[in-house]
Amino acid sequence: MAQTQKIAINPALALVAAAAGWLVPGLGHALLRRWAKAIVYFCAVAILALVGLWMRGNVFSSNAADAFDMLGFLADIGNGIFYFLAGTINPAGADVSKAYGDYGTRLFATAGVLNLLCVLEVLQIGLGSKEEGPAAVPGS
Amino acid sequence: MILNHFQTMVIFALAVSAAFAFLSKNEMNERIRYAVWAFLAFLVVALGLGWLMYPFSH
Repeated sequence: MAQTQKIAINPALALVAAAAGWLVPGLGHALLRRWAKAIVYFCAVAILALVGLWMRGNVFSSNAADAFDMLGFLADIGNGIFYFLAGTINPAGADVSKAYGDYGTRLFATAGVLNLLCVLEVLQIGLGSKEEGPAAVPGS
Repeated sequence: MILNHFQTMVIFALAVSAAFAFLSKNEMNERIRYAVWAFLAFLVVALGLGWLMYPFSH
């Protein structure tokens, strides 16, 4: 049976790490010294977000016209820095007149939701409510 | 960037299965097994559903 360990509880660090993890995917885990998770989460979110933007997916803004647009905005804002740099990464903007752009919209939203999951895990780790095995403990 | 639909699905499956594996498993062996299983499940289910819907496209 795997031995489980918890890190010291530090709510302030947990909140800072969560905010950092939202802004830059994986940064929250890096602040908590979960290096492998930080790299994997950054790569996963970055790949999905960048491919979604390069496929000219739609990026929802905060002035949503209906509930679905608001849900899209909530998912997209989870991308953190990729949301704010969307216009720079893909200056041509969205084109959802083809299925291709529609897939890009889904990939970008998936990246945002995935990053929000990672932010929740950062909070769990920082607040000491998530037990982790030896493989995930810093320095092991 | 021009990717076909299958390549897009593979990228999605790779990224999501890797992230899910690290979110849900602690041991590296478990993570690898889970990531491979989830990746294959994504592909098999998507291809299966695609073939199931194929008759309706004609």
